[in-house]
Amino acid sequence: MFKLIVEKELREIIGSMKFAVTFGISSLLLVLTFYVGARNYQVSAEQNETARRENLRKLEGLTDWGEVQNFRVYLPPQPVSSLVMGISNDIGRTSDIRGAGEINARDSKYGEDPVYAVFRFLDLDFIFQIVLSLFAILFAYDAVNGEKERGTLRLTLANAVPRSTYIAGKIAGSFLALAVPLLVPILLGALLLLAMGIPMAGSDWTRFALIVAAGYLYFGVFLSLSLFVSSATEKSSTSFLVLLVVWIFSVMIIPRTAVLLAGRAVDVPTVDQLVSQKSRYSASLWQEQRKTMADWRAPSDTPMDKVFPEFEKFMAGIDAERTEKMNAYGQRLNEERSNAQAVQERFAFGLARVSPSAVFSLLTTSVAATGVHLKDEYKLQALQYQKQYAEFFKGKTGRNPSGSFMFRMTTDDDQKEKKKINTAEMPAFAFVQPPIAAALGPVIMDFGILALFNIVFFAGAFVAFLRFDAR
Amino acid sequence: MDNRPILEADKLTKRYEDGVLALNSVSFSVRGGEIFAMLGANGAGKTTAINLFLNFVEPTSGEARIDGIPTHREPLEAKKRVAYVSENVMLYPNFTALQNLDYFARLGGKTAYTADDYRAALGRVGLSEDVHRKKLRGFSKGMRQKCGIAIAILKDAPAILLDEPTSGLDPQAAYEFQGLLGALRSEGKAILMSTHDIFRAKEIADTVGIMKNGELVMQKSSTELAGEDLEKIYMTYMAGHTN
Repeated sequence: MFKLIVEKELREIIGSMKFAVTFGISSLLLVLTFYVGARNYQVSAEQNETARRENLRKLEGLTDWGEVQNFRVYLPPQPVSSLVMGISNDIGRTSDIRGAGEINARDSKYGEDPVYAVFRFLDLDFIFQIVLSLFAILFAYDAVNGEKERGTLRLTLANAVPRSTYIAGKIAGSFLALAVPLLVPILLGALLLLAMGIPMAGSDWTRFALIVAAGYLYFGVFLSLSLFVSSATEKSSTSFLVLLVVWIFSVMIIPRTAVLLAGRAVDVPTVDQLVSQKSRYSASLWQEQRKTMADWRAPSDTPMDKVFPEFEKFMAGIDAERTEKMNAYGQRLNEERSNAQAVQERFAFGLARVSPSAVFSLLTTSVAATGVHLKDEYKLQALQYQKQYAEFFKGKTGRNPSGSFMFRMTTDDDQKEKKKINTAEMPAFAFVQPPIAAALGPVIMDFGILALFNIVFFAGAFVAFLRFDAR
Repeated sequence: MDNRPILEADKLTKRYEDGVLALNSVSFSVRGGEIFAMLGANGAGKTTAINLFLNFVEPTSGEARIDGIPTHREPLEAKKRVAYVSENVMLYPNFTALQNLDYFARLGGKTAYTADDYRAALGRVGLSEDVHRKKLRGFSKGMRQKCGIAIAILKDAPAILLDEPTSGLDPQAAYEFQGLLGALRSEGKAILMSTHDIFRAKEIADTVGIMKNGELVMQKSSTELAGEDLEKIYMTYMAGHTN
């Protein structure tokens, strides 16, 4: 009986004009998404490589490592992040490495090209979250009450059909009829990635498979929700309206409201406030050190040629002390801000997880490593690189890089031809995408929440249909 | 021929949640090879009686039995023994007539039928072969009604419930339908039919019942009705002037 109902659903849905049109559009959009993602990756990788080469070219011709003021690093595009972009286009993609101090990321894609920020990019997150959830609603909003309106439910239930088998068959049949055909454009898209030479590693395919699995779970949520609402309402027009409202709340209202509420509930100092605090502290340190600097005198017996090295040593000491104090202060402020942000984030995401759309978005961006932690991860790796760079610089010049005061003395000897620095000796920055295991906790939790939504709505549909007035 | 009661209403009562008494202690039985026609105005309780036999609603008291099985206690067992044709048969519009027959026959537990059996059933109800493979979307009400009857025939159940089956049919189709009912009766089916068609009821029914405000106010056999004007009797009952 179950198989018969599943077969009927498959035949009824796949044979309809509605399916042909919506499936055609969805398939086209899916394939287009893969193409756009792959093209974006290619363009970003090319831009990244050009910028990296230009960065090194600027160093060509230098003969002294001490002349290297700073070095720029780039956040390279990742294959999977081109499919689920998350915040990767919103955050800065380049940072200046000075050898000390904080790292700031700038030149975001949307900052460089604001036109893309207006309507955002087409990615798998958008396709599943918006297009395919509506696709599910469109097909299942009248799955039960529509059959009653059309008169087929009465005839069906006039037979010895257990209601539980019927609703289970309907859910399974609808899911198979709608979800399985979607695998075709998804697989086509995957082939397109290969054909366009996107370097998908094994872990990238794992991420991709997890994103698709999450997409199907999310699709299942709206399908079972639609069946639930269709079983709980008398008219298909009512169920469509209810589902539309639920969809708007899930996709548009709840995630934004959660963030707004969290913003109100947890106060996080702004970056400008932090900069201002740091600047005031720096000024106060400067005032303190000015007196020390003014009081500095070389010992009277110091030969003239030793005065400058003595002064440099003194200034280096002052500089190191100030840097140390500034770093400690900055670190404390950053930590306080980061802690407040973490609380705010937990609050916002916890609230937002009431919405399946928010859960799906958080899940896919966690898997693609393009979530809110991408910026922190990039900064962390850039900081680690900065340490490497500082050691290298010190090894080459004998000085700490980025000292605020640097005096250079040249002698006649310096006019002689000097050997150029070899930029290939510099340590290279390579951003390593954090492994999926790093986000395993939230990923499992979000998979669990989506599964729970499915179970709850399925149970709701089940119970509502057992009580459904089939007259 | 099986002559025992197949469809039985035993003091069947239904009061809805809003307090409306739709059926008040109605009792009747329909034997194998018998047609029982229920006449009555809209809201008289005819469809409620059919809904109780199909267990679409639970009785407040009394019971409906199909082949001795109380429908509200063992609905699935009872439904195995009954076929149903609604007033306006609606099948799956994207399926062909054959596909609809196949689906509903299997749903009714008949899995051994072949395409020839389906074609024979459609032929029996008067649907020509050129429409067998056409989608139901383009079928007229009469053609859909014929498909519904073909489905009921294929189920081969001892009881058949017909809810105003000739409503909206043209005279030719209604006449053909009458012939089909006669054939089903001679196969031993117990047929309960709700209808507004007094003429057809008198022509075909073995027993005629008149429902009014949820009560079976009259029940007469065709023998008792012979020579009587059923329309006049009906109008008298509707006006409330009965001896």
